[in-house]
Amino acid sequence: MRLHEHQAKELFAEKGITVPASVLIDSVDDVDEALETVGLPCVIKAQVLEGGRGKAGLITLADTVEKARSETERIFAASPKVKRILIEEAISIEKELYVAMTIDATSAKGLLLASREGGVEIETLAGVPGAIKRVHFDIREGVMRFQAARLGFDLGLEGAAHKGFVRTIMALNEIYRSFDCELAEINPLFLTKEGSIVAGDAKVMIDDNALFRQTRFQQIEDTDTDEVEKMAQEEGIPFIRFDGDIGLMCAGAGLTTTVYDLVNYAGGSVANYLEFGGPNYHKAVKAMEICLKVPSKVILIVTFGTIARADVMAEGIVEAIRTLKPDRPIVTCIRGTNENEAVEILEKAGLKPLFDTEEAVEEAVALAKEAQS
Amino acid sequence: MSIFIDRDTPVLIQGMTGKEGAFWSKHMIELGTDVVAGVTPGKAGETVHGCPVYNSVRDAMAEHTIKASMLFVPPRMAYDAVMEALDGGIKKIVMVAEGVPLREMLLLRQACKERDALLIGGNTSGVITPKEAMMGIFPHWIERVYRRGSIGVMTRSGSLTNEVTSMVVKSGYGVSTLVGIGGDPVPGTRFAEMLPHYEKDPETKAVLIIGEIGGTMEEEVAEVLASGEFTKPLVAFLAGRTAPTGQKMGHAGAIITGGKGSVEDKAKALEAAGAKVANRPREVGALLESLGVEKDPD
Repeated sequence: MRLHEHQAKELFAEKGITVPASVLIDSVDDVDEALETVGLPCVIKAQVLEGGRGKAGLITLADTVEKARSETERIFAASPKVKRILIEEAISIEKELYVAMTIDATSAKGLLLASREGGVEIETLAGVPGAIKRVHFDIREGVMRFQAARLGFDLGLEGAAHKGFVRTIMALNEIYRSFDCELAEINPLFLTKEGSIVAGDAKVMIDDNALFRQTRFQQIEDTDTDEVEKMAQEEGIPFIRFDGDIGLMCAGAGLTTTVYDLVNYAGGSVANYLEFGGPNYHKAVKAMEICLKVPSKVILIVTFGTIARADVMAEGIVEAIRTLKPDRPIVTCIRGTNENEAVEILEKAGLKPLFDTEEAVEEAVALAKEAQS
Repeated sequence: MSIFIDRDTPVLIQGMTGKEGAFWSKHMIELGTDVVAGVTPGKAGETVHGCPVYNSVRDAMAEHTIKASMLFVPPRMAYDAVMEALDGGIKKIVMVAEGVPLREMLLLRQACKERDALLIGGNTSGVITPKEAMMGIFPHWIERVYRRGSIGVMTRSGSLTNEVTSMVVKSGYGVSTLVGIGGDPVPGTRFAEMLPHYEKDPETKAVLIIGEIGGTMEEEVAEVLASGEFTKPLVAFLAGRTAPTGQKMGHAGAIITGGKGSVEDKAKALEAAGAKVANRPREVGALLESLGVEKDPD
């Protein structure tokens, strides 16, 4: 789960990382009051989860009250995803740094990253040799102070700036450790003209598998989750909407992804990715209900399950067809545990079960083309 | 020969009295696995499929020789259960649980490295040598997937394993040992770390890797190949070639971010190191043949 900038900065401030003064608003009417705290010039920042806010025009600087009002209004109108805006004190910047803490799965260690060239996307930095300094640390100990101090000197910091940097890293370390972070990143990390260290942005991602013990922050939705996506979410069914012709109703992440590839190879296009394997294998009716709400031309069902028994899935599919009366053709390719029973169940219901994934994909692509003409 | 387990490997089952534990330990025994005991705290004295159940790993070890442990425990208890197995000196552990927090996975990986132990999983089907033994949840009775032969298979995905392996069998090959590495971002053991075991196994003539977008495990395999430490033919099938960037396609580990982890990059690295990469599951057999791997006689 990714925290919004204002949520992450709340954590930063609590743990001793200096952040600019700011006020969170949800209406343009609150701009004047916010400016009383923040002052001018100010930075106006849309609180959305996607990256590249600057490029998208969702972060801007204002030096007058009028401009702050008009820019706030413009950003609120820019996208329905913008529900909150952070009005922040503008900092006089000497240099923009980059720091992040993440995991290194290969060495099973924590990884602290830092660069003197902050303010850009990390991918841009990755291409420049030596631009990013890497420090591995023991996940049991966290980052040691000497590691943070050494890194600060390596970045060419001294005096108050160095002290501020070490304090920032040690606070980030505490956040990383106590909040099960997959990533805790500050980009840019400002070195101000006065020589202090201030977090310009805050990107904190909490490990989804640890959310059961990280209850402090609730996900603030910024996506336009539609009715169908909500339905899938409530059922715990992985679902992604695309704009093609073939609705996928498959079992297993790897197999569904492969069917997605095969449809594209065969010249078809995918209307939705939906996975009803694993714990959801008895949810064929719900899965088909979701698929039918997507404007596809064909529904393609491919499974090869172990625990997700083929006969149970076949029964579910027959039940779904009986109750939902789908208005489009359905191609089935159900295999795995008890597959012979599954074939019998499907045939009895008048379906023509296929046994080869690619054959099923080709059939679905042909039916989609037929429906088009 | 097989890697990881054979019929002479005495196996402990942690979480044996649970529904899933009881169901799959029965299938493990039916295949020929030497399941000797179970552990469920508070259930000492019970028996499951004729195997005695103990309160702790220590109690089970006092009565039996145990070389491997199979864990059917929920994700929140998995960390403790693996540490208990390690504490008992067990060096081979399979954990099927999905959803173990990253922090615990890193700690477990480190603990296993320090003790020279091998942890397979989580979020995996486990390990199987067809017609021999298994630790995990495989429908071993499906003959068009679980045929014994000479191809070592490693996979990140359960559903895809059945799909791709059935194509291997259709082409006239069988499986020596199949290892489900698992679908999580931090598995206990990585693809590259299993390669030395396949290299040493005389039954394995070639290795098939079933990978997908995200992470760097396929690239690490390419590095081992390029170094010359793995000398057998290697074929890979990688899912998600047409997947959009930034979209999590099912597995937690499967996502292309910041331009890294794409199938294109992985395929390029593997091919440069001498491996063959299949675009479709049905191409795998022909690619094995093109590398001169002999088919397995019936």
